[in-house]
Amino acid sequence: MRSETDHHEKVGSVLVVGGGVGGMQAALDLAESGFKVYLLEKEPSIGGTMAKLDKTFPTNDCAMCTLAPRLVDTGKHLNIERLTYSELLELSGTPGRFKVLVKKKARSVDPDKCTGCSECMEACLVRNRPYSPGVEPELQDVEGQELLVLREILGRYPRGREAIVPILQDITAEFNWLPEWSLRMVAHTLGLPLSRVVRVATFYNLFSLEPRGKHIIRVCTGTACHVKGAGKIVDSLERELKVKSGETTDDRRFTLEAVRCLGCCGLAPVVTIDEEVYGKITSARLVKELDAYPA
Amino acid sequence: MKSHRAHVMLCAGTGCVSNGSFEVKAALEKELAERDLQDEIAVVMTGCNGFCAQGPVMVVQPGEVFYQLLGTKDIPHLVEEHFLKGRPVERLMYRPPVDKIPVPRMSDIGFFKKQRLIALRNRGLIDPEKIDEYIARGGYQGLSKALTEMTPESIVEEVTKSGLRGRGGAGFPTGRKWASAAKHASDEKYIICNADEGDPGAFMDRSIIEGDPHAVIEGMTIAGRAVGAHAGWVYIRTEYPIAMERLNLAISQARDYGLLGADILGSGFDFDIHVFRGAGAFVCGESSALRASIQGDPPEPSAKHIHATERGLFQKPTVLNNVETLANVPEIILRGGEWFAGIGTEGSKGTKVFALVGNVNNTGLVEVPMGTTLREIIFDIGGGMEKGKEFKAVQTGGPSGGCIPASLLDLPVDFDRLTEVGSMMGSGGMIVMDEDTCMVDVARYFLDFLRDESCGKCTACREGVDAMYQIVSRICNGHGCEGDIELLEDLGETIKDTALCGLGTSAPNPVLSTIAYFRQEYETHISERRCPAGVCKALITYSIDAEKCNGCTLCAKNCPENAISGDKKEVHTIDQSKCIKCGICRDVCRREAVLVQ
Amino acid sequence: MPKLRKEDLEQIAQRMKKAMSLREGAGRAKITVHMGTCGISAGARKIVSAVMHCLEESGAQDVIVTTSGCAGLCSREPMMTVELSGQAPVKYVDLDEAKVKRVFDEHVIGGVIVAEFALARGSEQTL
Repeated sequence: MRSETDHHEKVGSVLVVGGGVGGMQAALDLAESGFKVYLLEKEPSIGGTMAKLDKTFPTNDCAMCTLAPRLVDTGKHLNIERLTYSELLELSGTPGRFKVLVKKKARSVDPDKCTGCSECMEACLVRNRPYSPGVEPELQDVEGQELLVLREILGRYPRGREAIVPILQDITAEFNWLPEWSLRMVAHTLGLPLSRVVRVATFYNLFSLEPRGKHIIRVCTGTACHVKGAGKIVDSLERELKVKSGETTDDRRFTLEAVRCLGCCGLAPVVTIDEEVYGKITSARLVKELDAYPA
Repeated sequence: MKSHRAHVMLCAGTGCVSNGSFEVKAALEKELAERDLQDEIAVVMTGCNGFCAQGPVMVVQPGEVFYQLLGTKDIPHLVEEHFLKGRPVERLMYRPPVDKIPVPRMSDIGFFKKQRLIALRNRGLIDPEKIDEYIARGGYQGLSKALTEMTPESIVEEVTKSGLRGRGGAGFPTGRKWASAAKHASDEKYIICNADEGDPGAFMDRSIIEGDPHAVIEGMTIAGRAVGAHAGWVYIRTEYPIAMERLNLAISQARDYGLLGADILGSGFDFDIHVFRGAGAFVCGESSALRASIQGDPPEPSAKHIHATERGLFQKPTVLNNVETLANVPEIILRGGEWFAGIGTEGSKGTKVFALVGNVNNTGLVEVPMGTTLREIIFDIGGGMEKGKEFKAVQTGGPSGGCIPASLLDLPVDFDRLTEVGSMMGSGGMIVMDEDTCMVDVARYFLDFLRDESCGKCTACREGVDAMYQIVSRICNGHGCEGDIELLEDLGETIKDTALCGLGTSAPNPVLSTIAYFRQEYETHISERRCPAGVCKALITYSIDAEKCNGCTLCAKNCPENAISGDKKEVHTIDQSKCIKCGICRDVCRREAVLVQ
Repeated sequence: MPKLRKEDLEQIAQRMKKAMSLREGAGRAKITVHMGTCGISAGARKIVSAVMHCLEESGAQDVIVTTSGCAGLCSREPMMTVELSGQAPVKYVDLDEAKVKRVFDEHVIGGVIVAEFALARGSEQTL
C-alpha cells in the first residue's frame, strides 16, 4: 500500500496471500505498476487448483494455457518475491504500515539444485504412513447391547478400507440407519479418518445419517414408472404422510423415499413398502394400503 | 432321478414374484398332491421369462403351452383340465390385443416369435438354482473347451473374431479389451462383472443373473483364463436381492463341483469369484467409480490417462465387462466366433437384450439380432401402443441416451445407428412414450436424475447439469424465456466437451435429442405457455366434460383437496382455486370425463 | 464333493437329458393317454402310472407322455395313442397294466405295432 505521507510516489511493498491464478495475476499487476510484491503460498509450489484442471467451465478454455504464462512471469519477475511453503501467522498495523509474521517451513531440499524429478519421493520409506486416530472413541449414551452388535459386525471383516461399504451395509441392516457413534467406531477400527467414513456414508443412497421409520416406502422413479405417473404417486404420498420425499414421519412410522429403478419396469408404476411390492399401483389404491402398516 | 411326464416352468423373476408366483406355486403343488399327480408333474421355478407384463406366467412342457396372469384361484381348474384331462385352458392363454384369439403355444406369440436368444438362451428352460440343469443345456462346455483345447491367445482371438462389443453402454470391442489386459504382465489380474445396472428402465442384467447365473460365472472364468486372471468380482446392485441370492448359490455350487477354485476341470487353472454388493449410487456403474467403490474409496470417477487393463482394481490389470457381455462368451467359445459374427449388422454383431417398457402393450425383456428395426421391436414384438394411443417417441440408452421420434421408427437398431441419431445403445433400456408424454418433462426428469446422481467431482457435470435443470424447470413452470433453447444447446455442448467421465459427457443427450426432434414442444411451452401433452402442472387445468360426466361422485370422493363439487347424478365441477392438479380425479374416472388442457 | 473332470460334465448332461428333452419338446415317441370322465372311470389313471413305470424301468430318454381328453370311443376305454415320430399314430383300446407293458416294450421301444390290442392306425390329426 502507498505510504500515508506521500501519495505520489510508489514506495512500500504488498503482500499477496495465495499463489493461485488469482494471486499470481494480482501480484503481476502490482509488480508491473512498480510495487515490490511478496507472494505467499502455503503449498510447496505456486499454481493452485487451476494447475490440476484440464479445462475450465463454462468457457471450455485450456487451463494450462491460461496458467502457464502467469507461472512463468511470476517466477521471473524481479519485483516479486515468492514465499512458498509458508504460512501467515500474524497480521497487525494499519494500511500503509502493516506488519506480518510469516512462518517459512523447512523444505530440506536445495531449491537451486532440485529438478523436480520426484525420485526421492518414490524412494522415501515413510510415505503413506497409515493414519491412526489413537484411542477408541468415548461412547456415551450407547447401550451395551448395541455396542456388542457393532463389535460383532466389525469382526466379520478384515481390517482395511475395502471393508467400509460392507460394514456400513451391515450396520444399516441392523439399525436401519448409521448413528454417529457407529461411524466413529468404524473410523477407529479401520484406521481411517472420520471424514473419510462420513464421505463414503453420505455418498450412497442406501445409507442414512438420520433415524428412519419403522416402514420404508420406496417409490420407484425409474423412467418407465415416471412415464406412467410415479410423480403423482410421490405427490399424493407426501400429502398423505405430511413429509417430503426422503423424510420420516414424526411418529417414525413411515419413511418416504423416491428410489432409482427397482428393475420391475413391466409393472410400472411400482412402489415397495418394506418387502411388499405393489405393481401397477394408483395413488388412490396405495393410500388405502398404508393402513396395513401399524405404527 | 424320478422321471416326470410334464414340467411346469413357473417364472420366478422379480416381476412375477411380486405378482404372486410363489403363492401360485404353493397352490399348484397342493392341487397336484391332492390329485396324486405330484410324481408325474414337476413344478420348476425358472428365472425371468421376459414377458413381465403378463405375470405370473408359466409354460407347460412338452407342448409349450403358455399361461399368463395366473392367480391361486385358477389352479384347481387348470390342474384338472390340463394335467388330468389333457385339455389346455384357453381362458388363461395369451390373447393378442388385436384379434383376441387365444394363442396356446409360446413360440406362436408375437412377443416371443421374433426373438433370438443367445444371452438369454436358458431363460425359462432351467431352474437357476440347479447347476445340473445348466450343464444339461450345454453349460460349462465352453469353459471345458477353453481350458482343455484352447490357449489363452486363441480364446482372445475367438472373441475378437466374433465382433462382440460391450453390452453395458459404450460398446467397446471385448476382444480388444481382453487382448490389452492379457498383454500387461502382472502377478495378479482381475475380472470384474459390472452388474450395477443403474439405468432406469433397464433390467436385463438382473434377469440374466436371476435366470441363468452360471452363464455369468462361466463367462467370467473364460475371461480369467484368456487374460491370466485368477480372481473376479461381481459388483451387483443392492436393489436386486433375488439376483444376489441366486448368484451366491450358483457360486457355491460351482465351487462344490470344482468349476471355481483351484485346478478347474483338472486343467491346472485357478479362478474364484467374490460378490460385492453396491449401496445405491448411479455413478458406480462407471468403471473407475466402480473400482473405487470396491476399494473402499469414495466412488468418484477418475481421469483415464491409464487404461484399467494396465492399472485397474488395486492397481492391477483389470477387465471390466457387463453381465450380458459375459453371458454371451460361453456360446461364442462353444460355437465359434464366426457363428456369432454371422448374426447382426456390420459394426454390431450378435443379439442385444432390450427392456421394452413404457406405454406399450407387451412389456418385458426382448432379445433380437442387432439391426432389427425399432418398428419391429415396438409393434411386432411389443404388440403396439397401449390403449391404442399414438406413438410419440422411444427413449433408449437411459440417462445417457436420447429420444427417437416416430419418423425414425424404421431405424435398424445397433451401436452406430443409435449414436448417429443422437441417442445411444446404453444398457438397452427402451422406453416407449405415447402422445400423453411431455418431452420437456422427460428432459427435466433425466436432468433431475443426473443432478442428483452426479458425484460432484467435476464442475461441468455438477454445475452444468444443475444449470440445465433450472432452465428446463423454468420452461415447465411457464417461466421460459426467448433464448432458453439456444442456451440449453450451448451449455449441453460445453458439458459434452468438458465433463470428466462417460456419464457426464453423455448427460446432455436427453435434452439435446428432445430439442432436436421436438423443438416445437419447447417453443409451445415458452411462447404459448402451454403443455400440449397435458403434463406440466403449471401449464394445465383440469375440467369436467359435462357430456360425459354421469355424476357418480367418484372424483369428488377421491379429491384430496375437496375441490370437486356436484350432487349425485349431476354434472360435477372443479374449483380451480382449490385444485392442486394431482390428477387423481382423472385416474379414478371411469368415463374419461375429466379433461386436461 | 469330488471335483469334476471334463468327462463328468458329459455324464451330468446325459443324466439330465430326459428332463431337458421334455422341456425342449423333442421326443422320438409320444404316448397320449385319453383321460375324459369315461376314461378316468375306466381306469386311465392306472394306465398313466403303468406307462410312467415302464418309462422309468426302461430308462428311455426320448419318450413323451401326455394326457388328453375323451377320444370319443367311450366303450373301449381305457385307451392310449402311441405316435412314433414320422409315423402315423396308433390307438390301443381296452388296456390294462400288462397290455401297457407289452405295447411299451414292443411298439414304443421295438417299433413293432402290437396288432392284437390296436384299434386302428391313423387318427384325426391333433397337432
